[in-house]
Amino acid sequence: MTDSISTTQSLSRESGVELDLLAREERITPVPLWRVRVKLWWRSARQNAAIFADNKIGLLGLAIILLFGVMALAHPILMATVWDARTYDPITGYSFDELRQPAPPSARHLLGTDPLGRDVLSQLMYSTRNEFILGLLAALITVTIATTIGATTAYFGGVYDMIFMRVADLIIMTPAISLLIVMCALFNPDLPQLAVVIGILSGFGGTTIIIKSQALSIRVKPFIEAAKVAGGGHRHIIMTHILPNLLPFSFLYMMFGVTAAIFSEATLSFFGLLNVRMSWGIMIFTAQAAGYLLSGVEYWWLLIPAGASITLLCSAFYLVGRALDEVVNPRLRKR
Amino acid sequence: MTQPILSVQNLTMHYATRKGDVSAVDDVSFDVMQGDALGLVGESGCGKSSIANCLLRLLPENARILQGAVRLDGANLTTLPEDQMRAYRWKRIAMVFQAAMNTLDPVYRVGDQIIEALHTHIETMTNAEARERVAELFKIVGLDPALMDRYPHEYSGGMRQRAVIAMALSCNPDVIIADEPTTALDVIVQDKLLREMCNIQKTLGMGMIYISHDIAVIAEVSNRMGVMYAGRLVELADTADIFARPQHPYTYALMSAFPSITGPKRELTTLPGEPPDLLNPPPGCRFHPRCPRATSVCARDVPAFKAMDARHSVACWHPVEG
Amino acid sequence: MLKYIAIRVAQIIFTFFVFLTLIFFLLNAQPGSSLIDQFTDPNMTAEMRQAIAKSFGLDKPLHEQYLIYLGNFLTGNLGVSFSNYPRPVIEIIFERAPRTLILFLSSTTLAFTIGFTMGKILAWRRGKVTEYVATIGGVTLYTIFLPWFGLMMIWFFAFILGWFPLGKFLDPVLWRGAPFNSDVIFGQMLTTASAVVVALFIVYFISRRLDPIRRQPTQIGGALVIGAAVLAVWIPHPAARYALDILHHLILPIATLATVSFAGSMLLTRNSMLETLREDFVMAARAKGLPDNVVRDKHAARNAMLPVVTAFVFGLALAIDGGVVTETIFSWPGMGQTLLQAVSRKDIPLAIGGLIFGGSLALTAHLIADILYAYLDPRIRYS
Ligand SMILES: Nc1ncnc2c1ncn2[C@@H]1O[C@H](COP(=O)(O)OP(=O)(O)OP(=O)(O)O)[C@@H](O)[C@H]1O
Ligand SMILES: [Mg+2]
Repeated sequence: MTDSISTTQSLSRESGVELDLLAREERITPVPLWRVRVKLWWRSARQNAAIFADNKIGLLGLAIILLFGVMALAHPILMATVWDARTYDPITGYSFDELRQPAPPSARHLLGTDPLGRDVLSQLMYSTRNEFILGLLAALITVTIATTIGATTAYFGGVYDMIFMRVADLIIMTPAISLLIVMCALFNPDLPQLAVVIGILSGFGGTTIIIKSQALSIRVKPFIEAAKVAGGGHRHIIMTHILPNLLPFSFLYMMFGVTAAIFSEATLSFFGLLNVRMSWGIMIFTAQAAGYLLSGVEYWWLLIPAGASITLLCSAFYLVGRALDEVVNPRLRKR
Repeated sequence: MTQPILSVQNLTMHYATRKGDVSAVDDVSFDVMQGDALGLVGESGCGKSSIANCLLRLLPENARILQGAVRLDGANLTTLPEDQMRAYRWKRIAMVFQAAMNTLDPVYRVGDQIIEALHTHIETMTNAEARERVAELFKIVGLDPALMDRYPHEYSGGMRQRAVIAMALSCNPDVIIADEPTTALDVIVQDKLLREMCNIQKTLGMGMIYISHDIAVIAEVSNRMGVMYAGRLVELADTADIFARPQHPYTYALMSAFPSITGPKRELTTLPGEPPDLLNPPPGCRFHPRCPRATSVCARDVPAFKAMDARHSVACWHPVEG
Repeated sequence: MLKYIAIRVAQIIFTFFVFLTLIFFLLNAQPGSSLIDQFTDPNMTAEMRQAIAKSFGLDKPLHEQYLIYLGNFLTGNLGVSFSNYPRPVIEIIFERAPRTLILFLSSTTLAFTIGFTMGKILAWRRGKVTEYVATIGGVTLYTIFLPWFGLMMIWFFAFILGWFPLGKFLDPVLWRGAPFNSDVIFGQMLTTASAVVVALFIVYFISRRLDPIRRQPTQIGGALVIGAAVLAVWIPHPAARYALDILHHLILPIATLATVSFAGSMLLTRNSMLETLREDFVMAARAKGLPDNVVRDKHAARNAMLPVVTAFVFGLALAIDGGVVTETIFSWPGMGQTLLQAVSRKDIPLAIGGLIFGGSLALTAHLIADILYAYLDPRIRYS
């Protein structure tokens, strides 16, 4: 029982949460450690949610993301129920009911059809899922790499640190889209491959530098020194002390990572360089290739929905990232 | 009788916050005569810096001056339009800030920052004249004039402090406000600077308001002194007089907490309780919850700030008899 | 300072060689093929293939290939473009690089200036509504899908309003039979622009040393003289009409690029400025009786600028990418469009050349911005 108390206290020191109350309860009835952790976690999560909710712009971003999430989930359901595959399939469908393609929005095709007679809304919804997969996958890879390298370089320093920092410098200074354009020409990747490439590029690049600077500020905190004095091994200190404190930042940079990944994919598929059959970028590419570029308002459904979706989803993730920034960086908060 | 160069009358200032108004300065009055060094002493958070900022009207957005006047040459600085106020800043009232270490802009040469002040107030001054003046000022505060072309980060803390003092002197102000200018320095440098500042003030004959929470420092630099408690001035008199005959119970307690080598032995007393929260200060005399002499009237009515004799005023219902 | 610059230069050069090496391995990391298989252009004669293979040293082992590759690069031999056979890649780069440079330089300076100015004003007068509008507008512009935005700009300003041409470098109808080479005229325009920038800087630095009452007249006078000189050179110039045409084609791409990239600087300046405004030296500047705009610009904004410049340096590579997209959308015949054309025509030497150009531009810009930063922050300059 005494053991459990002391662990709780050390935990409270780390997370900076006042645990007086919990510790007192402890003396009466022993609570398993995991319950204390859950309680703690739940409490800080609630506080952080309150701070996040204070930021109306962040909530707006979250709402947009949820809206797109619903669109992505609704597509397979619609295809299975009301939308007939021959007409509504985003890639192979053809709308025989329309006299001329592209057809303007109608009750049958809420956003009209594209120059190849395919339903624009269906394409838009189908692509949403791909964008989410690509964005989240790339961001996950980015953040995993960046967190690992950031935590270890900050902890060990020296030559190890220098090598990775030079690599990061190089990647920052490289025009990523230009590089991806050439890479696409050489390898013609599909969506998951592209996600991996983007993830690796930004994982070893700018994100590492930012996360490392955070890790550095954690490294100089007194509890790290205490853990060293107490005889904690490198592995132990990194895993139990640095990483948990770094994860909020990683999560934050994941949001920005999603924005970057979706943006890159859209640009590449806009130029027709990706081995992807349908995406928002391709929708604009199709319209452009068929010569509807300067049709402007007349054929608005070919350009506006896809372009606006890219912009909206990118800025939504970015806005959520900014709002999270205020949660993890108290300095940015308003008084 | 001579006229005061600066006269503060019934000054009241609040900070509006989400939780309510912080009554940081409440009905404060005092005069500064030519050649006076007025010390303002009080605990941290009692509103000393707030008064200083009111005098220059350098207030944050949430600050409101509710009443009172700051008179200088017949003008009332609390109501002066902003563009006229600018002419008073530095030229008439200069200030050495509390965080003097950070008062120098890191991206400009120290000399240029002083020249900037000179050029702002004396438009016809040429660069050569301005540099000459800066060199002269550097000599006054004990800095090598060659340092004027260096950047703040190349200065030590003590040197920066001296530079800031030189900057405050640059336009020959009538009054200098020094807001705990030496707190960030080590004791020896602190002491040395303090003495030099006194000398400069005496030789140049300007008025000075010296703010500190350290009664020993005030005793050393000032000839008049005011004691503040929770946003109010509770006692104002000649420094020697206050040390000899403190009349407000708070001052009395402060004095007894301050061991004196030469004076008679007094019992060291500590005050019970905490300084009040300025968000909702206690009614009546703000000191009454901690005051050993408090009676029911103290909790009810605000004691007037009245003159006991020509140079000694006190705000208390039951002053300690000299 | 000199030591700092030397270290940065050495680092940049080293980074550049790593960059070249990576490109080399990228080319060789092709699954199950050597570089030569890339040259599958049906129009290629055996002779052409031979020539290319030889110039890349493809018959030698890998490490020798690498040395040849580096040697070729150092002697400016980037191979021969085969979509423009037999023009050497380096010649194409020299022809088109200035067009990209002008786009890149003017849009980034414009974006930084606008972003910085707006951010600083936003921080100075805070308000709930402006804050929301600025944040949402800023983030939208910052994350807007550039190709799409470019199309919208063309559609609106060129197609609907007809204020600007629909793209391209010049108007072929106007230039048909013109007694000038467009590249020569463009070069002269670039020279004029550089001269103006240099002259403005000189005036600025001279005026800074003058007595305060003579400062403003000198600056205004200097600017007028420079403006008059430009007019005096160009109005009687026989190609003035043609130069104007190029200028006319330049405006929309620059505006597009600047619009999407100023928001980042704006949002960051605002945050940085809000933090700087809490600093004591800003209070001290006010206490000195300086006018509000001097406090804001000379003290607060000048210090708030430092982190913004850092972020701006990080964003340079992004700006180059933006240039690639914009050039393609506007058919602006610079290196960005060349890169995409090369890629779509499988012209690998030219594509690599474009990539190397992009990398060099990014690295050089990075270096210059780094030095500029050191100039802006005396704590780096004097240590
Ligand atoms: N901008 C502000 N908004 C709200 N309250 C403020 C603000 N500035 C100061 N205060 C409050 O006003 C009171 C007086 O502050 P002030 O800085 O004048 O104290 P001080 O006597 O100078 O203290 P110190 O000796 O610590 O410098 C304090 O209680 C402080 O919390
Ligand atoms: Mg203070």
